[in-house]
Amino acid sequence: MFGGAFGGGGGGSNNVAAQRPAPMAGGPMGQGQMDPNAQIAAAEQEMEMVTEMFARLGKLCNKKCIIQRYSDEELTKAESVCLDRCVAKYFQVNRVVNDKLAKLSAANQQQ
Amino acid sequence: MSNPFTRPPTQNERDAASKVMDSCAVKTAFSGAAGYGIGAVFGLVLSGIEFSSPVDTSTSTKQQIKTVFKDMGNKSLSSAKNFAIMAAIYSGSECMIESYRARNDIYNSVAAGCITGGTLAVRTGPRGMAAGCAGFAAFSAAIDWYMHKDD
Repeated sequence: MFGGAFGGGGGGSNNVAAQRPAPMAGGPMGQGQMDPNAQIAAAEQEMEMVTEMFARLGKLCNKKCIIQRYSDEELTKAESVCLDRCVAKYFQVNRVVNDKLAKLSAANQQQ
Repeated sequence: MSNPFTRPPTQNERDAASKVMDSCAVKTAFSGAAGYGIGAVFGLVLSGIEFSSPVDTSTSTKQQIKTVFKDMGNKSLSSAKNFAIMAAIYSGSECMIESYRARNDIYNSVAAGCITGGTLAVRTGPRGMAAGCAGFAAFSAAIDWYMHKDD
């Protein structure tokens, strides 16, 4: 589940990163610095994507599932079931959309 | 693994425990047990109020007391069984309906009450089942409304 989400997010960002110049191994001294920099940038981008996904997921499932009348601190059975379903659906939707987007961009690149 | 009796539970253990305790099966079992207890007390009280069949006065006093107590015990046990079944059906069906709908409103109680009333009145045919469903649904809706009206 998480692998799919990160894979989808990583795949999306790699399409952008492919347009940066690839680091050359054994080049002049300055070239060795790009690899860790590129790595750090990729890690930062992934972290940002994960944070954004987490915030969006939390907000959405809170709005859809949690009853706004806080009469008890425990989640009722309905709410916990709803939260499970909400998270599962969100990740599934993410995966499906990513797959379709990847197919579309692959089709576009072939043309 | 450290001794689980001498340390506070970990988060995983608490999650697993809460998952078990909030499951429909455990809730049904607990409701059935509570219903059994309440039914036993109710049966005892009812047997005191109701007029029982006249005791055979030819036997000794001790025998008569034994007979009366035995009768009270039987009535209490039968009432306890009925209450336990009713509570288990109600609790189980309400839990399943709530899990299915993923909503928490009064219609869970109404539907559970209808199922319970209908199941308890199976012997009396479809009309009896409809009447039992309507009656018990109204009753459980009223109780649920009263319990949650100040939330």
